[in-house]
Amino acid sequence: MASDLVNITINGTPLQVPAGEMIIESARRIGVEIPHFCYHPRLSKEAGANCRMCLVEVASPRKNPDGSVTLAKMPKPQTSCSLPAGEGMVIETETPAIIEARRGILEFLLINHPLDCPICDRGGECPLQNNTLHYGPPTTRYVEEKRHLPKAFPLSEHVVLDRERCIHCARCTRFAEDIAGDAQLGFLKRGADMEVSVRTGEQFTSLFSGNTIELCPVGALLSRSYRFRGRPWDLMTQKSICTECSNGCNIKLDHRAGRFVRVNARLNEDVNEEWTCDRGKFGMDYLSGPDRLTTPLVRRGNRFEAVGWDEAIRRVAEELGQAGRKSAFLGGIRSSNEDLFVMQRLFREVLGSSDLDHRVGPSFDAEPVIGVGQGQVARAPMSLVELEGLSLFISFGCDMAWEQPMAYLRVRKGWRRGALTIASVARHGTAEDERPSSLAPISAVRVRHDEGGELQVALRLLGEVLRQGGDGTAVPAELAAKAESAVTEQGADAEAVRRLALTLFEAGKGASDGRSVAVWIGEAARTNRQLPDILQTLSAALSAAGVHGVVQVPAMEVNEQGARDLGIAPTWLPGYEQADPAGRNSAEILAAVAQGDIAALWISGLDLATRYSDPAAAVRALESCPFLVVTDLSLTKTAQMADVVLPVTSVAERNGTYTNVEGRVQRFWKAYDPPAGVRQEWRIAAQIAARLGTEIHYASSREVLADIAARVPLYAGCGPDALGDGGVRWASALAGEVGR
Amino acid sequence: MAANGHSGGGDRPMDTVSGRFSPEAVAELEEIVSHYPDRRGAMLPALWIAQREYGGSLPAEAIKEVAERLGCPPVEVEGVASFYTMYNLGRRGRRHLEVCTCLTCAVLGAADTLRALEEKLGIKVGQTTPDGEFSLAEVECLNWCEAGTVVQVGGRYFGNVTPDKVDALVEQIRQIQDTEAVTQADQIVKVQLARRHDGTADG
Ligand code: SF4
Ligand code: SF4
Ligand code: FES
Ligand code: FES
Repeated sequence: MASDLVNITINGTPLQVPAGEMIIESARRIGVEIPHFCYHPRLSKEAGANCRMCLVEVASPRKNPDGSVTLAKMPKPQTSCSLPAGEGMVIETETPAIIEARRGILEFLLINHPLDCPICDRGGECPLQNNTLHYGPPTTRYVEEKRHLPKAFPLSEHVVLDRERCIHCARCTRFAEDIAGDAQLGFLKRGADMEVSVRTGEQFTSLFSGNTIELCPVGALLSRSYRFRGRPWDLMTQKSICTECSNGCNIKLDHRAGRFVRVNARLNEDVNEEWTCDRGKFGMDYLSGPDRLTTPLVRRGNRFEAVGWDEAIRRVAEELGQAGRKSAFLGGIRSSNEDLFVMQRLFREVLGSSDLDHRVGPSFDAEPVIGVGQGQVARAPMSLVELEGLSLFISFGCDMAWEQPMAYLRVRKGWRRGALTIASVARHGTAEDERPSSLAPISAVRVRHDEGGELQVALRLLGEVLRQGGDGTAVPAELAAKAESAVTEQGADAEAVRRLALTLFEAGKGASDGRSVAVWIGEAARTNRQLPDILQTLSAALSAAGVHGVVQVPAMEVNEQGARDLGIAPTWLPGYEQADPAGRNSAEILAAVAQGDIAALWISGLDLATRYSDPAAAVRALESCPFLVVTDLSLTKTAQMADVVLPVTSVAERNGTYTNVEGRVQRFWKAYDPPAGVRQEWRIAAQIAARLGTEIHYASSREVLADIAARVPLYAGCGPDALGDGGVRWASALAGEVGR
Repeated sequence: MAANGHSGGGDRPMDTVSGRFSPEAVAELEEIVSHYPDRRGAMLPALWIAQREYGGSLPAEAIKEVAERLGCPPVEVEGVASFYTMYNLGRRGRRHLEVCTCLTCAVLGAADTLRALEEKLGIKVGQTTPDGEFSLAEVECLNWCEAGTVVQVGGRYFGNVTPDKVDALVEQIRQIQDTEAVTQADQIVKVQLARRHDGTADG
């Protein structure tokens, strides 16, 4: 709208900007960079404008008594990060007075700064160092003794604080309160004694603490794992994807001499903005871990023997070839899309087996994504951006900040804006109630139930919705009856569920088009055997309340969504085409192994012996398995039971794609060479196929992806040329949306 | 549409608050809170009340209780409490000696006086004697500069203190009744409330 624009002039260049935009942001539009420390576009301005680095000179038009207008210069320089643009403003950023003022500010900031850049991790990528070089005085006049404080005060297991270096910009404290929502950091004391701190005697246990290291404009907040491990100019950086959960944060993977060093966030407005969580930021050390496997292993009696790839491949091909239809595949949730596509071709096309499954139980008939309402792309998970704009988010047995960190930040952002209501349904004693970063304290409705009570809560909710006038015409009579009897039962959570029903109706009002409600089912609820009924009941409740939305079991592992989409499942093929004949799910596969009905089992990137819903059953089955081949990075408990272990490349050692929780296909790039003796999983699968007489020929992972895009309509918009750096959501591509 | 500000309950206290506020103190706090646009605005009087309810200092539980009653992050409460010198975060002696070392007193030898007091009491600034009788603090101008060096104990001022008078001063302070030494917080809250009620100062 034109009326919202104002005309301003910066350094002689006229431009139009939205009224009220901060001048520091307006200047960026024409490439004028104003040095700053405390200003950050994603943080509140509330406690800002405290570093005084961003000074500019301003003149504004003033009406004289005779009606003429003259430019009146403000007597003092202004902080451009807190100066809203107004009509006719004339701003100068490089006058002698400003240059002098900046020098003064820097000299002042450096009075108590130790200037120990040579031993500071931040040296080389430090805003204070850079600004001092560009704008600061060459020397200091300060000869008195500087303030001395502890150098590496441990705030938590991940972060140390060097209080001498802190310039009190409040970026870290604002991040903790505004974005992460745990508000564990604050300023104690005052004047020269002022210090950033957690509460006395407490720890910085936030799940997002690592972001403050990147936000800190000096070397005050530092990573304990990266401390003294390298200088920024000695590091190489590659664009990559975090592998620690399904959110698929875009990261910069820093490496040196073929070894992983650290993770920093890479900007992707649609996924992680510029954040990571601590699981990812501090969890990728495994890439260069001491336990990486570097050669194929073959079992001889009670021990493993290192063998060459030829022998390993020959052995696996022989066993699989003999087993034929009696071979099965489990896992794949940490493999790339390319690995998975070729793998399912090996099993389906070459071995003739449909026994593939990426799920570890116990509920196999659950439809992971149920859209409620019109015009939805079938099976499309909700996008992260969409979460921000919802009216109601229901966290159902989901420890959001831990399981779905970026989704948690989005929901919190929507809540902060004021339009999003949060409801939290969980077992008594859920970990979420104890976390510093949690949706529980900001939930308008909190339902707490007993172990295994999820279905009961869902039925009660449906019952309440029907009682309060919900449209029950589409609800099966049997379900409606169950819901009705659930409502009549007394229970401690009855009142909370009633309020949840009211909130649901509320969310449906006024939001006629578009989805306004999302229910995310977390790990605690997905281990409930009644999951299919829970999902059906919840979606019935949504539709009876007349809201458009989604009930979904979001993926949790890095490529769990890819394994779903690409048919690592007994009943569907890539793109959710129906499998004919259908195979067996992981529970049935393990039972068949135990009965001798499966002769060869392949497990990929999944420690089934610990992760299966019934670990003891998994171990018994694996023990009796005639031939077990495991592909993984290290010798997990499951791998230790294998007959052949094949070491595979990590995310840092190859190109490929993962599909994140919102169905976004995202590329990662090779950072350094794999250890000799390690291969890509899809190449292993193709080599085995070749040994068995079938060519599955691809020259590169790019070619595999191109073939996926050509053969799987779901991924038609996600070919190698379409993805770019930020990836493409298949649902958006199918719906014809551009860009997202 | 109202934006949600804070991390915790925002503009409401937590459902259940555990702590040491008496019912009268809770009522007193709620009365004060009613004068502010949001609960966290009442931070300073809330801390005074807490200091009184917790016997003259603000241990970690007191900080937590104030945070819960005002619905804001505990670290923010500790930040405010540690910003001002008249809230006592650490353990404080029954007789709390506040020695001015600001400009005039400094010129009049406050540093020497302070050192003499440290020696006499056997503690450093910021510490409390093992018997809990005395604690020592350094403060800014006490507004009686013509009598520097100035020492304040609770509601009482002692002027013209020099190193040679320190022995006598400590004995004199020992005679002060306990209650007199710690009731300062209570008085300040009362004054504030009284002003509010007669409308002389609000907010
Ligand atoms: S620790 Fe860093 S981010 Fe936090 S206030 Fe100090 S300089 Fe700013
Ligand atoms: S949210 Fe998930 S993808 Fe992002 S950094 Fe954390 S673990 Fe990694
Ligand atoms: S950037 Fe403007 S005052 Fe700090
Ligand atoms: S300087 Fe000590 S009372 Fe003023």
